[in-house]
Amino acid sequence: MLNHVAQRLAMSVPVLLGVLLFGFLLLQLVPADPAAIVAGPTASPELVAQIRQDLGLDRPVFVQFGIYLGRVLQGDLGVSLISNTSVIAELGEAIGPTAELMFACLVWAVPLGIALGTLAAVYRGRLLDRIVIAISVAGVSTPVFFIGLILMQYIGYHWGLLPFIGRGGPLWSLDGLAAIALPALTLGLIFIGPIARMTRTAALEVLSADHVRTARAKGLSERAVVLRHVLRNALIPVVTLIGLQAGYLLGGAVVTETIYSWPGVGRLAVGAILASDFPLAQGAILVLALAFLVINLIVDMLYAVLDPRVEKHG
Amino acid sequence: MADIAASTPAPSRPLAAFGRRIVKDKLALLAALILLIIVGAALLAPWIAPFDPYETTRRPFIPPRWSEGSLPQYWLGTDGQGRDMLSRLLYGTRLTLVMGLASIVLGGGIGALVALLGVYYRRLDPFIMRAADILLSFPAILLGLALAAVVGPGLTAIVIALSIATIPDVARITRSAAIVIMGQDYMEAGRAMGLPDRILIWRYLALNCLSPVFVFMTLRFGQIILIGAALSFLGLGVRPPEAELGMMASLGRDALFFAPHISLLPSLVIIAIVLCVNLLGDALRDLLDPRMRNQ
Repeated sequence: MLNHVAQRLAMSVPVLLGVLLFGFLLLQLVPADPAAIVAGPTASPELVAQIRQDLGLDRPVFVQFGIYLGRVLQGDLGVSLISNTSVIAELGEAIGPTAELMFACLVWAVPLGIALGTLAAVYRGRLLDRIVIAISVAGVSTPVFFIGLILMQYIGYHWGLLPFIGRGGPLWSLDGLAAIALPALTLGLIFIGPIARMTRTAALEVLSADHVRTARAKGLSERAVVLRHVLRNALIPVVTLIGLQAGYLLGGAVVTETIYSWPGVGRLAVGAILASDFPLAQGAILVLALAFLVINLIVDMLYAVLDPRVEKHG
Repeated sequence: MADIAASTPAPSRPLAAFGRRIVKDKLALLAALILLIIVGAALLAPWIAPFDPYETTRRPFIPPRWSEGSLPQYWLGTDGQGRDMLSRLLYGTRLTLVMGLASIVLGGGIGALVALLGVYYRRLDPFIMRAADILLSFPAILLGLALAAVVGPGLTAIVIALSIATIPDVARITRSAAIVIMGQDYMEAGRAMGLPDRILIWRYLALNCLSPVFVFMTLRFGQIILIGAALSFLGLGVRPPEAELGMMASLGRDALFFAPHISLLPSLVIIAIVLCVNLLGDALRDLLDPRMRNQ
């Protein structure tokens, strides 16, 4: 297990470097002078020249990349052009809410999706199966903003059941839970479809496997067969899918945060891009890319827990 | 020359078979019909749109014909600036489809071409696959955000981002299909006859990889439309006054509680397009990969 984790961590180093290069290029490619950006719009030409020298902008590009790496590793991502506060501080405030939102989405959508997919496979061809298929096809065809707007309009506004603007406080408080309910529901609804579909396919495959026939033959109840012998094996491709869909989840989170004014990294990124706040945009995109990496790492580790064969093959 | 022609692998005729199957599959038939109507309406937008989609009037927030307070000339009502919703939907659908098609053709084309070259010229393969791996670690939405930051929000940024995001997946599918084809006897035969690489790659390899790649791109098209619409919704896509469905849905957000049709109608058109494309893609996959049919 540890071995597998260490290997995965080593493998993510080049990708991490790629992500950082990406952030660096982002600042290089913007149609503006980074020194002028850092100095701010009211700076004198002398100050800009001084900053250019301080930042090493007169040096070769690869040296600059080294300097950039050093700065990022020390947690220095520059200063926001709009609020004039450090980018890392703004991001620090936004990471918590985004993590909360993703957690609150996965915590109900993944179990429900897996349950629906398993039920559909067990009752294959019956009404329940058809309903689950219809739900998942509709789910993967619906834009997340449509679900968000509908929930906001009815549950939030017309029926006044739940708040729909901003974050209400920590998750363990009642206000916090109420405020996260609609965003988490929105994000979860687009995620249930793919999970249910994949679980169904995987469970169908496992249901016809030899070891399941053996389990039935030795007289286990159908419930025990499904829970112990089918589900665990079916979970492996499902976990893979969750990793593959991490980008989908991230995209959904960006849109959901924007709709509900949820103070997360996605909303920060979109706001920064629209306001041409390049340092902040670069920082927020870096954090989102990192989140994608981390989700994939976690998924890989879960994979090793669920499927002991992974470790042996390395 | 006649011998060569005879030994050329007969390309299967997926379109004809697909047509036959669709007629049997009621749901796929319905999806094809609806999609045809939507695409047709979008193509004919300049001729069938009742109003100029950009012309603002003093009659904003008019609801659609089936609600109270509607006006007979505005079938689907007007938006916050008094522009005719039906006309804007027609033009918006057009841009959404163009955005999706351009991305899938560009990204899919590059991905498939690169993968074919990699399979045919083995030495290129490791580099191409490594590059695809790296691209895979950047989800489409991030590419979209990054490109919008660099080149500024707009249709170009979105199409480039969606194309880049499509390249690695299409490359992988094409590669696995092409590797199988490379092992076929007719490839060996073609080579033994001394056919030039150009013909071997296009007529022998590419044509025979076409169907799995086409199915994948169809299923992918729906996703691309969704991601593109989401990026537009965030304000990173088409600039006003031009109309695109995701951006139209976003424009209506401020009026959601008293004029919901401004946001919901464009969203419904997106759902219709993506749902139909997905249903057609599923039918196509069942046809070409019968192993999956029972699942």
